[in-house]
Parts: sequence; structure tokens; C-alpha cells
Amino acid sequence: QNSKITGKVTEAGGGALPGVTVLVKGTNTGTASDLEGAFALEAPTNSTLVFSFIGYATQEVALGNKTTLNVEMAMDAKQLGEVVITAFGIEREKKALGYTIQEVSGEKLAQVKSSNVVNSLSGRVAGVQVSSNGGPGSSSNIVIRGMGSVSRNNQPLVVIDGVPIQQANNNRYGGGISEVNPENIASMSVLKGPNAAALYGSRAANGVILITTKNGVGVKGIGVEVSSSITTERPSVKPDFQDIYGGGNGYRTWYNNGRSGSITDPLEIEQYRAAYGPNAPLSGTEGTDESWGAPMDGRLVRQWWTGTGVAPLTPQPNNWEEYWETGQTFVNSVALTGGNDKGSFRLSLGRLDQTGIMYNNDFQRNNINLSSAYNLTPELKATVSAEYIKSGSDNRSYQSGQQFIWSHRSVSWDQLKNWRDYTGVHIQRPGDDLPPNWQHTFFSNPFYQQDYMPNANDKDRLRGSMALSYDINSNLSLMLRSGTDFWTDTRINVTNWERVSNGNRLYGAYNEEVLRNSETNHDIMLTYKKDFGPDFSFNGQAGGIYRNNYYKRNYTSVAQLVIDRLYTLNNNAVPNTNESAIEEFNVQSLFGAAQFGFRNALFLDVTGRNDWSSTLPTSNNSFFYPSVSLSAVVTDLMEMNSNILSFAKLRASWAQVGNDADPYQLYQLYESKTPWNGSLPAFGESTDINNANLKPEITTGTEFGADVRFLGGRIGLDATYYTKSTKDQILGVEISKATGYNRRFLNAGEVTNKGVEVMLSGTPLQLANGFQWEVSLNYARNRSMVVELAEGLTTYTLYTTRGLSSEARVGQAYGTFYGNAFLRSPDGQIIYDKVLGTPSLAPGQTVLGNIQPDWIGGFSNAFTYKGITLSALIDVRKGGDIYDEGTGTARWTGQYEETAVGREEGVIGKGVKNIGTADAPEYVPNDVIADAKLFYGYNNPRTYHEAAIIDASYVKLREVSLGYQLPAFLTNRIKAQSARVSLVGRNLAILFRNNPHIDPEVDSQGGNAQGFTYGQLPNSRSMGVSLDIKF
Amino acid sequence: CTKDFADMNTSPNKPTAVSSAVLLPTGIETSVDRYWGHRDRFERINLDGGMLWVQYLARNIYSDEGDNYNMSPAYYTNNWKGFYNDALLNFQRMVVQSAPDGTAPHTNYEGIGMVMRSWVFSLLTDIYGSVPYSEALQGTGTTPIYTPKYDSQEAIYAGLLNDLKLANEKLVVSGPAVTGDILFNGNILRWKKFANSLRLKLANRQAAKKPAESKAIMEEILSDAAKYPVFTSNSDYAVLTHSTVRPSNNEWHEVMIQGGRTDWNLSKTFVDKLQAMNDSRLTVFGQAVNGKYEGVPNGLPDAIATTYLATSAKLGTYFTAPTTPSPIMTYSELLFILAEAALDGDITGGAAKAQEYYEKGIAASFGQYGLTMPTDYLINAGPATKENILTQKWIALFGQGIEAWTEYRRTGYPIMPTPDARAIFLNDGVLPTRLQYPSSEYSLNKAKLEEGITLMGGPDDKKTKMWWVEK
Repeated sequence: QNSKITGKVTEAGGGALPGVTVLVKGTNTGTASDLEGAFALEAPTNSTLVFSFIGYATQEVALGNKTTLNVEMAMDAKQLGEVVITAFGIEREKKALGYTIQEVSGEKLAQVKSSNVVNSLSGRVAGVQVSSNGGPGSSSNIVIRGMGSVSRNNQPLVVIDGVPIQQANNNRYGGGISEVNPENIASMSVLKGPNAAALYGSRAANGVILITTKNGVGVKGIGVEVSSSITTERPSVKPDFQDIYGGGNGYRTWYNNGRSGSITDPLEIEQYRAAYGPNAPLSGTEGTDESWGAPMDGRLVRQWWTGTGVAPLTPQPNNWEEYWETGQTFVNSVALTGGNDKGSFRLSLGRLDQTGIMYNNDFQRNNINLSSAYNLTPELKATVSAEYIKSGSDNRSYQSGQQFIWSHRSVSWDQLKNWRDYTGVHIQRPGDDLPPNWQHTFFSNPFYQQDYMPNANDKDRLRGSMALSYDINSNLSLMLRSGTDFWTDTRINVTNWERVSNGNRLYGAYNEEVLRNSETNHDIMLTYKKDFGPDFSFNGQAGGIYRNNYYKRNYTSVAQLVIDRLYTLNNNAVPNTNESAIEEFNVQSLFGAAQFGFRNALFLDVTGRNDWSSTLPTSNNSFFYPSVSLSAVVTDLMEMNSNILSFAKLRASWAQVGNDADPYQLYQLYESKTPWNGSLPAFGESTDINNANLKPEITTGTEFGADVRFLGGRIGLDATYYTKSTKDQILGVEISKATGYNRRFLNAGEVTNKGVEVMLSGTPLQLANGFQWEVSLNYARNRSMVVELAEGLTTYTLYTTRGLSSEARVGQAYGTFYGNAFLRSPDGQIIYDKVLGTPSLAPGQTVLGNIQPDWIGGFSNAFTYKGITLSALIDVRKGGDIYDEGTGTARWTGQYEETAVGREEGVIGKGVKNIGTADAPEYVPNDVIADAKLFYGYNNPRTYHEAAIIDASYVKLREVSLGYQLPAFLTNRIKAQSARVSLVGRNLAILFRNNPHIDPEVDSQGGNAQGFTYGQLPNSRSMGVSLDIKF
Repeated sequence: CTKDFADMNTSPNKPTAVSSAVLLPTGIETSVDRYWGHRDRFERINLDGGMLWVQYLARNIYSDEGDNYNMSPAYYTNNWKGFYNDALLNFQRMVVQSAPDGTAPHTNYEGIGMVMRSWVFSLLTDIYGSVPYSEALQGTGTTPIYTPKYDSQEAIYAGLLNDLKLANEKLVVSGPAVTGDILFNGNILRWKKFANSLRLKLANRQAAKKPAESKAIMEEILSDAAKYPVFTSNSDYAVLTHSTVRPSNNEWHEVMIQGGRTDWNLSKTFVDKLQAMNDSRLTVFGQAVNGKYEGVPNGLPDAIATTYLATSAKLGTYFTAPTTPSPIMTYSELLFILAEAALDGDITGGAAKAQEYYEKGIAASFGQYGLTMPTDYLINAGPATKENILTQKWIALFGQGIEAWTEYRRTGYPIMPTPDARAIFLNDGVLPTRLQYPSSEYSLNKAKLEEGITLMGGPDDKKTKMWWVEK
């Protein structure tokens, strides 16, 4: 029985309030108030109406049998001062914090499911840079507010329910946050910089990602949550290939026996002469793994699959699509929740099945999660949070994109994938028994390798904690907690199979690696809370932490199997190679924190912590670091009560974080080498000069910020300026090799990071019909500068390859590229050799770029209308450079589109030539026609580094999701409380990039060696559908 | 509760001291493997350097990896690092800890350490020019030096010659036993022979620049065979015999068989020369293809070079076997040194003695491969002129590309034919006279490096000449 309800919504002062959402409780039926605050809708008698509006407390009004209703909405201070989780899981009102913390809700994360949940932070949290690259189950590189450490870990600390876990950055094996089941996450908070994290100690200098898992609190009776999703993936960027010339060289494409052999067979000579005329040299060209071959004009040539016959040489424009699989991810998760006044309970089971875009590359993960709390007495509460993760794969290996760098454009990967079909006709050197491939000189069939050289792993991980908290009295409480993150991983990597290649027998080989890692933390914390009169409040903690880390690696390699494909360590024909290592260290800490509040509007926080670390010399192993921060809610203090400026907070903070060394860096060590002849022991001195006088390194951070909200919170602006400086860094400083050593460990150096972060959020539209548009914008810019290195040292090499290095040089930005540049005239034009027409090389090393972006940002929009939510996130990186060895090489080897130009007639390089002398140069426009292959060879990134430096800017449509909350009449039918269907897409499009061939979001080396790439597994675009039901 | 911190922070994996017996194999293996290989692409200083530049081999693909005089920066950076960090560091540690005031005094390890250190330093200076020597290897010395100064080649040679004399004294045949000696199996007499033969080589190398000193050294050695023994046959020269167990295998086996690389054929220059002299060593150095030996001209662009791959002479199977020894200095090399010294008047005997050493040197080279010199060979080889001595030395040094390159740079012999018209060479067509200094020295030791460059009398490029150059 519906009746028409009308009414008016006003705010406390009496003015009309437009745009208030009015919903019949438990349904999607609703409307919104108009400009006069009036509303009208049909609703069943005895139903309840829910009135909601940003910045105001939500009100529920039971209708009874009324048909008119006037509602007065009250401003909601709580909504403005939302609660966030801070260090040690302490819930704090956001307005009381003197530093920046940004939270992403589990709902947001669940909307766009990424199998590695940290990828969802990209573009969503200001100042967080996430680079992902890798196969199924891989992890991502995370940097918050730039790189602070020259030589050491710049990854943030990851904490789940108060207990740190090990965060690894590994393109192949993943680890840490990538193993967490996103469905269990209630929220993720990002504590940026040392200020937020003083209480987490050493490892928090790079920021902290705090994950709070869901629990059963607030669930009445038993709840069941089911969620399922299916996602498919394809590579997002295809390089621009040339499809005119085939593989080989000298304008000839001819498969002989896989190794450019000479052509002697009469039939073959006849076929060859028919294709290439009477004068072409009688040899195959398949041994050249480049594409400088014949025009793919349909001429009849021998190919790897034609045997003694010939087939038309035709372009294979889709061989990129043929090579990559459609990756698939299935995620299924079920959770059982329950709660009452005695406790709460949540048990969840998750399963992820993933196949990669590479053939035969997969990953599986099972997560069992238990989160439970029980009030033993009103004062004593016990909580358990535990997760067992079993993950693994039959094959985590993938062939990198080399197949499109050193390759023949004329091959079809579909045919190569079906190599078994061609074993009968495929020609190879007599006596060889190789799987068919387009050549045998440098490459094996990648699909065969994927099948027969798998890297399998099997990993068990248990992370969790138990805690007891006891309220001694109404002011004082005690918490005891013990947590661990323990994992063991067994990796079996097949590295070779038995075969005869070029007349030589090669044997099967494999290695086994067993890793064990644990971190255990025992915490005790006493909390005291008291208000002194109406104006003053105090909240203090004191406690201690005992942390122990243990790592063990056992590695054995079998270089020659007796029986091929039997992978056991005693199937060895020659002595095995053994390696093992143990790393253990201990850190003990005492800490205290105090917060003083004044009128719930002015807050002063003071913290202090002292660590004792086993990795430092006993004389230097104790170090103290403090922090202080201030937060002032100006609007409350000044009793401003404006509808325009609803809230204004200023904050300032200063903090230090101390850090210890890695274990065993104090004394000179010797390393065991592979024994000579498998038996005679051999050792060598470590090329690291250790240092018995190390002291802790200290990071100091300062930040100022403001959080201002207008129009009852419809527009919010949060801005931060910060500086961060890390001094006395424990550096493994590279030194002249002529000292006999490679690195020297010492306390030295200072790197500063300065930056700005701005977040702007708002609700530009909220219509009477319930339509709502929310926008948020974030922007971050960071500058890492190297202020000082060790005495007498001006350069620290972060990573070097092919003679191109990314360096930290005093007075320069962190991560500056140094390498060989082309010689340029005074006006900046490339100078070409006046005879050959090829670019000339400038002497010495030149600055070629820098790895750091100018700024990063995100722009997200969400539209909601009657249960339908459409959201989109755009992620921007402006500036920064990459040394893309892949692009340089693929130009040199004739793969890319631009190299098809001028092959037969030659190329004139754009620039000048010197017709004067070296001393008195005279530059005129270059008009020398260079041989195309020679000319494009100047993209060889091993010598001509400048040719491979590309701009890393991008604008990406990172996420789009369209969700539909099923209406109550449908959910009721399946007896569900709620049900939601979503279409989700990630990395859907690159809206802008400044290079033609790759997705510039790359990270091939991990850690501090950012900015390098060479044939990485391409990033993928994923699309999927997900279903979440709650019963 | 931090009492056990010191224990906990003592590495359970790595010792803080080891005996010279385990340092020795590491030093020998890393230095000889680098000299003979190297096994890593872009670091193959012999295969993609010396062996190509003296035209023993030519590349049938990727001529820009050495054959056209291009080199990747990894080439000059990693070899520098490898010689100092893998080899010299361990020899230096042996010398320091075995010295009379060291932690484990042992006169024979000290002597061996000095010989090997001298050999590796001689490679470094012959490859780069002036290099850190007198202040090198002091990273953990009592007064550590982190930015060692460069010494001129002249000064380094003086130091090496002096060290080798001292090493001969330190090495005592009746002295304490040595284990871990993968070169001479603890035979101290053979170490003494190597020390003195090497000293003769270095003295001869600098003879044109320091005639008086060189003469005195040669005289000292040759006048007292008991005190200064030298190599006397093909059974006592300096050579590392490899094992089938990787990575103790021969570097060429690793690259060409294990790694499957077929990038090299014999050079046309080398094949033509041996065939002209009807030299039977060609059957060991190479394999005929289709019944004949055809060499590849050096420096050909890939499109042309690859057409030779199938039809040209390949390396002899002897050189790609896992256990094929890597010579450091052969008996025949010593004889050619003496022949040259006699001809130049640095030692007594004149032309007649030169001819004698020359003939013995050729015979020793044949003998090294189990061959007998054909009876008419000396007619083909010609008399013991400077050119013929060095040409024969070049043939005998096959495999030791760095040494042959050094001798070619010093003497200009053998005379190389006019390059193939289709060849393209970089470095303005100048055969590299040296390697450039690594970029790491520019970053980490710039001031001293710049002084070092001035000591060479030319810029840091591949055209500046070595101090000992005679022509």
C-alpha cells in the first residue's frame, strides 16, 4: 500500500536544504529535495525514510501513517572529522592528526579488483608511485614521496592489523602485499613520510601502508558474503612494427638449416636462384636474428616450416597478437561473519586462479583468513587475526619480449606455437634434435621452453597476531600482542634440457631453492586517556617492541642431469653447486607517545622511541628519535560558523626516524666460490669493505599542511608541503676498482626530498533525482636531490648497464642518467659523419635524463544514480626518463616501423655535417645518404645510449567500473541483503604517451634501479565482471 | 637483553679469514679465464678483442662486437673491474697475509702471490696504459687508499721487474708446501721458472725504451740458470689445465659449446698466411669446411659476413674442448723473446743465436700441439729477421690474443694485409692501440685518472700509443 509523501528539508538555522537524498529504507526508491528543500515520493505506509546529505548527519524517520514530513538536518561534526587508523592500530580522529594520512576504503578497492591490491593506489593517493611489471602473482614497486635512501630499500613498510609483513618487490615471485586477498581488506591507510610513522621505527622512514582487515563487528547474527570475478587480460600496447621486410640480412630471407648454412643442395639452389637471382650469395640468412631481409612481397622462399619446399614470404602483421595469450583471472571468495555483544567473528576463504599473457604461465593462491575478537570479561578482550596463504605455480617463468626485439618479422607465432606439426619437415643440422624454430643459432622455440623449462614454486605463508587487551580502569588499558609473518618457498627451476645442438650434446640442468623467512614482533603497550575539565584532554601510550628476523636460503644447482627431466638432486652427473645463507637480526625498542588536546580543536602530539639493533657495533647500537606535531582546527578554535567555510585545519610536524644497518656489515668477509674441478675448495675476499664503526642513519622530516572544506564538505582541499632529509646514510659506496674493492660501507651522504601534495575533492552535482557526481583530484611533485655523499666521493651509481648508468651525484637530482650522447653542433643539431652520413658520438659521459617524474597525479570521477555507480580514474605521470634498451635494439635490428624507411635508397639524417676542420668547424645541413642498416644501427643502445632514452610521461585511463546495486525486490527473492554486479576495467587506455612503442610504466630491475627496461613482459589491459552478494 | 647482539651479528655464512690455499685457485681461475675468454658477452677481451684485432679470427656476425673496432662500454669497464676485484684482490691478500709480518707467514704463497699479481698488472698496463699500481689494492690497508694514483707504464714496468726478482727469492723449492695450486700443483720450481720467464718477457718488451736496464736483467737471469731457472721445454711452461666440471672448463668451450655461439671463423689473414707457408698447425687451429680452409676477412658488415658462416674454416675442435689448457706463457714464446733479444743485441750471441732460438721456438710451437715441424718449414718461414721472428711468434701465440695484440702494437709485426674493400672499421680505421678507461674511473677516481691520462702523452681514446711502442 503506497501513499504519496511530501515534505520539506531545512537546515538547523531554518534555510531550505536542496539536494538531500531521500530514500525509502531498504530500497532504491527515492528522490532528492529541490531548490526550496521540498520533496515528494511514493512510499509504503509504515516504512522509514532515510535523509542523507554530505556534511550532515543522516536521519531516519519512521513514517507511521503520516503523509507530510518536515525534517531538519543537523551538521555532522563526525563526518568532517572521520576516524582513521594510525600507528599501532590506534583509531584517531583525522582532525587531530598533525601529518598527512590518506585512506582508501575497502569498498573502493573492491569495486575495481586488482589481484595485487597495491596497484589500486596508483593515481588514487597523492604522492604514491606504483610501478608494476610482471607475470601473474608479481609484486609492484612502491615509492611514497620519492626516494630517500641512496643505496637501500625505499619501499614503504606494510602493516596488516598492527603487524608488519615482509614486502618484496619481485617481478616473478611477488611477495608481501601482492599475496593479500583484497576481499578481506576493510581499509588501507597510507602514512606518508617519517612524520606519520615515527612510532613504527626504522622501516617507516619511507612511509607506511596500513591495512585493516574486515572483522565481524556490527554484524547481527550470521552473515555470508560471496564474491566472484572473472577478468581477462591482453597486452595494452603493441609496438609499431614494420611489415615490409622479412627476417635475415642483405635483402634476403631464406631458411637453410637454422644456422645460415651454405646452400649446396641442387633443388635448394634452384629455388634460391628463383627468389634472389643469379648473383646472391648461396647462404641462408636465418642466423641473423634481425629483420633486414627480403621484401615480404610473396616471393617463394624456404621458411622454417616449409621443409624442402618453398612458400610465399608474406607479412605477419598480427604475430604480436598471436604470440600473447589472453590472460585470465578467476577470484572467488566466501566469508562467514557474525557478531554479538560478546565478540565478533569473520572467517573467509579465497581462491585466485590466474593465467598470464605468456603461454603456460600461471599462478594460484588460496587465502584462509580468520579475524575474531571475544570479550572474556567486560575488561578483557582477546583478538586473533590470522591468514594462511598457500600460493604457487606450475610455471612462473615467462619469455620476455625479446621475441620482438631480436626476431624475424616474417614469422607466425601461431605456427611456432604448433611446432609439433612441423617436426617432420623442419630442417636442422644433421644429428641435432631441436624443437622446430625460426632459427637455432641464438634462440630456442619459446613455447617449447615454456613447456619444458618451467620455474615452479610452492609457498606457504602464515601471518597473524594474537592480542589481549585489558582495561585496568576507565582511563588505563594494557595491550599485549604477538605477531608473526612466516613464509617458506620452494622453487624448482629447470634451466636446460638434454639435446644435441650444432653437433654438441647439452644436458638437462635445474636448481632447487628453498627459502624461509620470518619476522616476529612482540609488543606491549599501556594507554592512558583522561579529560581534564571541559577543555583539556590527554591520551598517552608507552610500550616496548621485541622484533626478530630470520632468513635462510638453501640453493643447489644440478648442472648436468643423468636422466633428463628427472628433477632430483642426486640425479647429477657432475658435482652439484651448493649455496646457503642465514641472516638473523634483532631490534628492541621502547617508545612513548602523548597527545594533548585543547577544546577538541587544538592537538599537540609528542613521540619518542629508542631502538637497540643487533646490526650495529655494540658501542653505537642504541639510538633515539623523537617527533612532534600540531594540529589546529581553526574553524572550531575561532568558533567560525559559516556555511561557506565549514572546516579548516592547519597542521605542522617534525619527526626523526633512525635506521640500522643490514646484518654482517661490520667485519671483512670472505666468500666461498665454486670449487675448482668440483672438488678443490676456493674462496675469495668479499669486494665490500665493511666498517666496524657504523652508526645509525637518521631521516628528518618536516611538513606543513592545511585541510579546508567548504559548503558543508561538498568541496575539500588538502595541501601539504614537506621536506625529508636522510643523513648519515649507511651507503655501500662504489669506489675505484683499483682499490681492489667494489664498495665501501660507511655513514655518509644526505639526500633531500621536497615536495607538494594537493588533494581536491568535491561533489559538483547532486540533483533532486538522486544523481550525484563526485570528483577528486590529486597532484604530487617531489624532488630528490643528492646533497652530499661520502668524503671525496661525488657519485653513487644506482644501476648501470651497457655503460649507461643512473647515478646519484652531489648537487644533482637522484637518478640522473649518464651515458654516451650524440655529438651536437652549438645549436643542438646532431652532427653526421661527412663520409658515412652516420651520427657522431660526443666524447665522455653526458647527462641524458633523469628517472624522476616532474609530477604525478590522479583524477577520479564517480557518478551515482539509483544504485548505479560509474567511476573512472585517470592516472598521470609527467616527465621522467627511461633507458629503453628494447626500443633502441629493435630499431637497430630493423623491427620497428621507422626502420622500413629508406632501406633501399638510403637515409639522410636530420642535422648537420662539419665541412670545416675539427678546430674550425663549419656546419651545413647534412645531405649525406647513409646506408639504412648502418644508419639505424646508431640506435644500438649498448653504445649509443642517447638513442634509447625516452620520455616516461603517460596519461592512463587506469580504472573504469560500472556497478549496479540490485534492487531490493530482486535481492529479496534470493534472500540476500544486498547484491552488486560490476563491470571493471583496468589500464583500459593510454590517453597520452610520448614514445611510440611501449607502455612507459616499467620497472625491470626493481628497487632503486628504476628507469630501465629491456623487453619486459608488456603491461596488460584487463576487463572483467564481478559479483558481490551479502546474505 | 642485547648481550648476544655481537654473536648474532657475526656472519654464519662467511668467514673473516681464510688460508692462501683457498684464495689461490680463485685468483688463478678468474685471471686466466678473463685472459683467455671471457665467457660473458661484451666482456670477451680475448675472443672479441685480441683474437680479432690480430686477425686470428673474424666475426661472421655482429662485427660491431670488436671486429670493426667498436666496443661496448661494458668491455672496458668490466674487464678493469674483473682484473682488479676478482684476481688482484685475492693475490694481494695472499701476499699481505703470507708476508713475514702477516697473519700467516709463508714464503712460497707470498712469492706465488707476487708472481700472479705481477702478471695481472702487466696485462692491465699493456691493455690500458697507465693504471693505478703503486697505490692500488690498498682499500683495506693500514692506511686505506680509496682513490689510488695512476703510475706511468715505465714506472709500473720497473715495479713489476723488481717484484718478479723478489718473488724468485721468496720462492723456495725446499720451503713450505703449497696446496690449492691449480697451475703448477705445488711445484715451486715451476713457479720460479714462470717468475723468471715473465721477467724476461717484460724486460724484452721495454728493451727499446730502457736498453741498459733490460740488458742487465736478461744477463742476470741467463747467467745463472740455477738461481734463475726459466722454462726449458713444453712440459714446464705456464698453463692452466681445465677440467670438464663447469665452471672449471675452458672458456671457449663455455662460449661456443655450452653457450652455442658460432659467431667466429678463422680470419682470412691467418688462414692465408698459414697456407702460404704450408703450416700444418692450421689443422689444429682450424677445421676445414667442404675440404678446404677459407678465412673470413675482418670487419665485414653483417650482411656480407654471414654469407661466410657456413663455408669458412671453423675453430679447431682442440680449442673448444672442455679440458683444453689455457696457456699464460709458453716455452715457444720464451724462445721467440730470446731470439728477438739476441737479434737486437740485448743478449749475447747475435744473429746466429737468434736463428737458433727462432728455430727452437718454431719447433716448440709445433710440439705444443703434438706436431712435428715439417722439414721444409724453415725455408717457408725464412730466416730469423725481426719480422720473421715476430710473425712466427704471432702464429705461435694463437689463442693468446691479448699477448699477440700487445706484440703487434709494440713491433708492428706481423704486417697485416690491406683490409677487404667491403670492410667498415670504426676508430677512423685505426686498430685499437688500447682500451679506454672505464666510466667507473671517471665517476669514482676522476682527479687521479686525469693525471694518469697526462702520463700517457695522449688522450683517453683507442689511438694513444703505449709507452713501449717501437714503431
